[in-house]
Amino acid sequence: MLTDIKIAYFLAIRMLRRSSKTGTILTIFIISMVFTNMIFLSSVIGGSIELMNEQTVDYYISNIIIKPKEDIRYIDNSSSLVSKVTRIPGVAHASPRFELGASLNHKSNEIALPVIAFYPDDEKLVTKIHETMKEGHFLTREDRGQIIIGNYIAGNVDESKDFFESLGGVKTGDSITVSFVNGVTRDYRIKGIFQTKSYQTDYKAFISWNEMENVLGYPLDQSNEILVKTKTGTTEKEVKKTMLSYGIQEEVKTWKEQAGGLFDESIESFQIINDITLIVSLIIAIVVLFIIIMIKTLHNKREIGVLKAIGIDEDIIIQSYVIQTLIIGILGITIGFCIIQTLIAYFLAYPIVFPDGNVSLYVETGIMIESAILLLIASIIAGYLPASRIAKEEILTAMRG
Amino acid sequence: MAVISVKDLCRVYKLGKVDVHALNGVTLEITEGEFVGIMGPSGSGKSTLLYQMSLLDRPTSGSVLIQGRDVGGLTDHQRTRFRLNHCGYVFQDYALVPELTTEENVFLLPMAQGKPDTESIEQSREILGKVGLSNRLSHLPRELSGGEQQRVAIARAMVNKPDIIFADEPCANLDSVNSKRILELFKELNEENGQTIVMISHEDEDIEYFDRVIRIFDGKNREG
Repeated sequence: MLTDIKIAYFLAIRMLRRSSKTGTILTIFIISMVFTNMIFLSSVIGGSIELMNEQTVDYYISNIIIKPKEDIRYIDNSSSLVSKVTRIPGVAHASPRFELGASLNHKSNEIALPVIAFYPDDEKLVTKIHETMKEGHFLTREDRGQIIIGNYIAGNVDESKDFFESLGGVKTGDSITVSFVNGVTRDYRIKGIFQTKSYQTDYKAFISWNEMENVLGYPLDQSNEILVKTKTGTTEKEVKKTMLSYGIQEEVKTWKEQAGGLFDESIESFQIINDITLIVSLIIAIVVLFIIIMIKTLHNKREIGVLKAIGIDEDIIIQSYVIQTLIIGILGITIGFCIIQTLIAYFLAYPIVFPDGNVSLYVETGIMIESAILLLIASIIAGYLPASRIAKEEILTAMRG
Repeated sequence: MAVISVKDLCRVYKLGKVDVHALNGVTLEITEGEFVGIMGPSGSGKSTLLYQMSLLDRPTSGSVLIQGRDVGGLTDHQRTRFRLNHCGYVFQDYALVPELTTEENVFLLPMAQGKPDTESIEQSREILGKVGLSNRLSHLPRELSGGEQQRVAIARAMVNKPDIIFADEPCANLDSVNSKRILELFKELNEENGQTIVMISHEDEDIEYFDRVIRIFDGKNREG
């Protein structure tokens, strides 16, 4: 067995070194392109998913979210819960939010959505919305009569450019009228417009906690949700477990649990596209390698007959072709790996711009290994089939070429 | 003692709907250490007979015994091992592996027998020295003349010290000087090592090198 492999390797190396170099280099190039293709799309999809995850944590949920128990609308004694939560090990910061249904009007444009109140200083510690101000400024604790809105709410003068209903292209400094569901109507000056590129966040409007108390007419110690930032080096799961062990009665969810349903369908769709691309790439690899090895074995048919005639077992001959395709596969994958690394570096510097944000390539080591193994299996199949077909021919038939 | 024993050997090829009887009941014996020439006109069945005796083809009927063993019942794998260990081959068009150097073409056989590399190299160099190619070890077949390529093929056939060497018109593509050299080499190796050599030839002048000639006409043999 070992002798057989040794002879097969001996023949394979010499056939590769001394046969047409152009053909071998072209085959290696094709494999590297197939490997790049297999990884590239999945890495763009991986980058998009990574972007969605980042946006969810940075702009939408933070690491952990506390919500009222089922069938209860508000978390009461919100301030004491926030104090309690911030003392829990693993928790860095916590910030409550309170929503009140409203309709926002500017000239003839009207949209209905809840206006959210937060403590601006606390909010800065749990999300990064303040870093995404497209124009104007973020709120401060003292702000009264001012509102910040997302880019999709501000919209465009040319409404055909809007994804959603908007205020028709309002700018910082413009005044809008907000009619709250409690009957209070106020004019607000737009203090700033943020653009996170996350559609869930960019269709939100925020006012300060003090302003909301003013709208309600009483001190507010209720919230709809409390966003929790965890400390670096901890996992959300661990911190959630600790929070529950500290007796938090409300519903506690990690961002993954909260957003899971939100992105499941998108991820599933991406996965289907990715799987189809992967299968197509593998079929291309098998067909290309099969054709190349078929041509090579047909060209070497006489030589295969001679090898059999002088006493070299057909299994050794088949193995030698399989080893050749394996070497070609390994070299192709290695070059493909280098191309991917270069692309990652390039797209890190110049991300792909999508409406939902800038996407860099995100490659999971597992996918890279899986693709390499699949491609190597494809190489083995593509090397084995034509070689075994020729090697099994009668010696004299093969020797006649 | 008969090293090859052929009895009632028939080989029928299908050519479309026509049956071509290439061998028609050949019976013969070749004894150990003989240098036998197989001669006959084109299409008489010489090569077909050689292929049956050398296990490169299977007869339609009849039997081939080598060293008293009926080789008809061997599996493909067993036949390959048998050829590797007991037979040497020299073909008309040299049949060297184009990607292997002179030394590698010869070295391949002891290596396939599982001999250690040092022993295989030593054996290959020794036999290549005997055929006068010590200075061509690292040349590829395409870098050698026809005569040199045929000497590599002979070295390859001899390297494992097989019991029988089968040569299918080894001088057909060579000029008269090289042909003479090759035949002398065969004769020398036959006398020196006592190996049985079965060679097909077209040329009457080759007869002087053979111990015996088997003539084939229309698929049947006739001693001559």
